[in-house]
Amino acid sequence: MKSNVPITRLGKFFGDRDFELEIGMGQEWLIGDMNYTCVLYKIDRNKIKTDDVYGEVVEDGIKFLPPVEFNAYVAIAAPTNKMIGTTKMDQVEPGNITMSVYLKTLEDLQIDIDFGDYVGYYDTENFVRYYTVVNDGRVVSDIKHTYKGYKPFYRTIIAAPVGPNEFRGL
Amino acid sequence: MGLPKRGPVKPTIPLNYPKTLLPRREEIKDMITKDGTYLPKSLLHADLDRGFLDFVKEKFNIVSEGKKIPVVDILITTQNWSQFVETWDFQNIDKNLEPPFLTVIRNPEVKYGNNPAVQYNIPNRRMYYYMEVPTWDGNRKGADIYKIPQPVPIDLKYTVAIVCNRMREANTLNQRIMETFASRQAYQNINGHYIPIINDAFTDESSMDLESRKYYIQKYDFTMMGFLIDENQFEVYPALSRTFQMFEVDQQPRKRPQRKEQPPQLESILYSYPNSATTEERLFAYTCNLYLQGTTNVISFSVFINNQYVGDDLELIQINNGDELRIDITIGLTGQEPSVTFTQSLV
Repeated sequence: MKSNVPITRLGKFFGDRDFELEIGMGQEWLIGDMNYTCVLYKIDRNKIKTDDVYGEVVEDGIKFLPPVEFNAYVAIAAPTNKMIGTTKMDQVEPGNITMSVYLKTLEDLQIDIDFGDYVGYYDTENFVRYYTVVNDGRVVSDIKHTYKGYKPFYRTIIAAPVGPNEFRGL
Repeated sequence: MGLPKRGPVKPTIPLNYPKTLLPRREEIKDMITKDGTYLPKSLLHADLDRGFLDFVKEKFNIVSEGKKIPVVDILITTQNWSQFVETWDFQNIDKNLEPPFLTVIRNPEVKYGNNPAVQYNIPNRRMYYYMEVPTWDGNRKGADIYKIPQPVPIDLKYTVAIVCNRMREANTLNQRIMETFASRQAYQNINGHYIPIINDAFTDESSMDLESRKYYIQKYDFTMMGFLIDENQFEVYPALSRTFQMFEVDQQPRKRPQRKEQPPQLESILYSYPNSATTEERLFAYTCNLYLQGTTNVISFSVFINNQYVGDDLELIQINNGDELRIDITIGLTGQEPSVTFTQSLV
């Protein structure tokens, strides 16, 4: 049974109600004003078809739960022009997407984001780029992810772009 | 129990034994000169590169998830990637190649080769007799001599890389390469020449960065032990030619009268006596008979051989080799220059 211990640090000038107010104001800005929307394709780990030996997913073997839209603060890195290994094959690789999500948003939507889940982000009205989560940002104990050291309030999730041979969405 | 799928099952049975030894060598020689002249075909860098690409496409033709893994149909260089990247059908919306795929990289440097068939043994690239080809222009039967220089061995280094997302794809290529090079070498027929290829090394450059796109990159290094032959350096020049001439003659016999043999004319020898001389002598270097033909203004004459008196007014004088014949005369009264004439007959 989980223990439920109240957080009393910063108690003389900051409390749980202040925390919820700040988060609510932040969500109002992020969701109401900015409204950066991503789509989570949560992998269905029971139905996914994987290789028996290596555990790698086979062609068109990815199965996912019903997609869920969520709001996050999105930053997409600049594409890099680089070679594939040392093959002299030069190509422009899309940058990673970094999504900062309120923990409360995840709680409200009753979703969680794990390594390997896929995220879609619409670049234009008719083009969506898919990413796979390479850092689910689950560890949020650092000072950056806590509100002035009071409690964690968001996660930073990093996802790398994938090609259509790996994931094509719906 | 696994059943043989396609390899060991022969769809047809060959009715003839394959050729061996000299007939096989002749067959290979015919293959070199097939579809062309009597000369072997050129073998230059681009031919060898094309041959290696074909080798990869033919031997490393692997399938994953029911789809053939494509091969980048051009050697990757630093110059033209952006020019041809537009043409492939296995690229995504970012114009990036979509794994899995195979690609071939050639090291730009080409060094002097180790092909044991063509090594340093003849200086200055002399031209060598290759073949004598008979010619016939309708009148003359001749031959052309074909000469070619000794080929120059070169080693070309290639890298075959597979870029893929799944270990099974990398395994399949690895299996195919290991089987092909189980005896370390394989051969590719390029322009009729068998060129050996050796598997050198294997490296893995898979993307290990945690926060980036992940794929396997496995590279296999090969050395193609080729050689260079440039047909622009071949020489063809005519050898000796023979002219074949024909004459048409009348084959009907023609009768001619038989020619009679004419008796030989005897040579005359003249003893003349100018200025009132009464003696004349002459040395004979051969053996002969002298017959008196006639005299002019001579009453009589006396014959001396080697100063020995023989007789007067002789009709026949027998002379031996080295005899000295002297004839003394008694001059007549007519006033003409006296002479005695003989005809001689060699004995």
